[in-house]
Amino acid sequence: MPADTIVIVEDELIEAEDIRQTLELLGYCITGIYRTGESALDALKTSRPDLVLLDLHLAGRLDGIDTAEQVHTLYNIPVIFLTAHADDESLERAKVTEPYGYVIKPFDERELHSSIKMALYKHHMEEQAQENARTIRVLANAIPDAVMLLDENHRIIALNDAMARRIGHSPSITDKPAPVIRSGSYGSLTSLESQVSDVLGSLRPTRFEEKTGNEWFEVTLHPVIGHKSSEKQVFVQYHDITDHKIFEDKIKRDGLTRIAQNMEQFQILNDQIRNPLQAIMGYVCLDCIHYRERILEQVAVIDTLVDRLDNGWLESEKVRRFLLRHYRSSQDNAGGSPDGTAPEGGT
Amino acid sequence: MVTVLQVDDDPAVRELFAIFLAMGGYLPLEAGSGSECLELLKNQMPDLIILDLMMEPIDGWETLAAIKTIPAFREIPVIVVTGKQPSAEEIRRYGGDIWDYIIKPVDIEQVVAGLHTILAKNRGLVCEIAAAIKRGANPRAAEEYARYLRLVTVAHNLERRRRNRTWTENVSIEAEEKRLRMLRSELGIADSPAAEGT
Repeated sequence: MPADTIVIVEDELIEAEDIRQTLELLGYCITGIYRTGESALDALKTSRPDLVLLDLHLAGRLDGIDTAEQVHTLYNIPVIFLTAHADDESLERAKVTEPYGYVIKPFDERELHSSIKMALYKHHMEEQAQENARTIRVLANAIPDAVMLLDENHRIIALNDAMARRIGHSPSITDKPAPVIRSGSYGSLTSLESQVSDVLGSLRPTRFEEKTGNEWFEVTLHPVIGHKSSEKQVFVQYHDITDHKIFEDKIKRDGLTRIAQNMEQFQILNDQIRNPLQAIMGYVCLDCIHYRERILEQVAVIDTLVDRLDNGWLESEKVRRFLLRHYRSSQDNAGGSPDGTAPEGGT
Repeated sequence: MVTVLQVDDDPAVRELFAIFLAMGGYLPLEAGSGSECLELLKNQMPDLIILDLMMEPIDGWETLAAIKTIPAFREIPVIVVTGKQPSAEEIRRYGGDIWDYIIKPVDIEQVVAGLHTILAKNRGLVCEIAAAIKRGANPRAAEEYARYLRLVTVAHNLERRRRNRTWTENVSIEAEEKRLRMLRSELGIADSPAAEGT
């Protein structure tokens, strides 16, 4: 494993050399010694060490603290301050630059060594954590569903790009406290507020469907225990089910089409059976013997019809056109069982 | 002699109606389709029309609408004798233009026997309306009254016969009955039991 590289920024040469020898014996590689902040920063443009040892009080335009600030902001390299002074004021100022430690001069070799090791380790861990956070952010933003996490007061703790787009919120994953979700303030979340309150109260997940414009969403709310066990949070997910709804609709319409087709079958029976029956009745009322042939003809017509019905095939353009003209949906369906035996009375 | 025009695309049914109408003392006229019917009405003046519904190329309702546009036949009594049950929509839309809706198969002799009642009711209605208009009633309200009276009559007949059958369609005409009562009082027409139902 290559040695960790260190840059020393120290305006007292003898001190710097001393530190260098010590560190090289410990196994570190010193890639540069600079007397001023500016020259160090200049060098950092091209070559980045793993750590910077920085004297708090430097001569030159930039003092130790300013230099450390730049190192931290521009390059995110861990900094350890070397200082002869340990006064509160300096330390206070230095804190802002987020150094990884201080070593008081004259330094103790072991202290220096452990400070550096600790600093490198912590920095590594932090980079890891940042990488993880970044990975999660990428993952969250890759999810097409709009998701977000709300705290007990309906404030957004985190949200992904899809959710930000949905509610017109500009930052995506944010560390800053976010506006409270209130129905009405974000037009597309009208039913959300009371649902969130319910979930926070019952600590049971809930699911409902919501329509926004022409789109349907399945909204899931899940209670989550936050970082501290007393923290209650709600995970909100919007899943687009527009296509699903369209498909459902189509199936319903297909079903209705089938009902309509069945209705046609019934109406065909109405028309095509009742006429022959009517004729038979008439002939019977007149004179069965005389009209025997006619009666038998009509009976044969009904027989054929029943036959076709048996074979599941019954069609009538005439009936279909009539139904299309005068019937709306299956709500107006008057299809009943053809009960042709009761004689009709006149008015 | 009273002339009755029967319109049906089934020749056997037409033949039988012709026989029974003749037996009943009426002069029967036949048409095998809506267009034949309208053609016939150019030269003939029937007193009543018996209309089938399921016909081609124009069906019974369309034929009826066409008949009503002919000034001479605007008030001609029409009864529907058909093989299909009515939908609520059909009753609401067309019920005001007919005096009855009868579902086949039917005892033709009985239907023929009931024709004179319909003719009488129709004449009575025409007189009632004329009288009301003479008293100063609004002709449109009178027209509406006629439509509602017929619609309620048809619905009541269907309901009465329905109790003997097995289908479940239930057309509620409370609104229409209410309107009829309103119009009746508005026009100052006496509430005669013979005018409504059978």
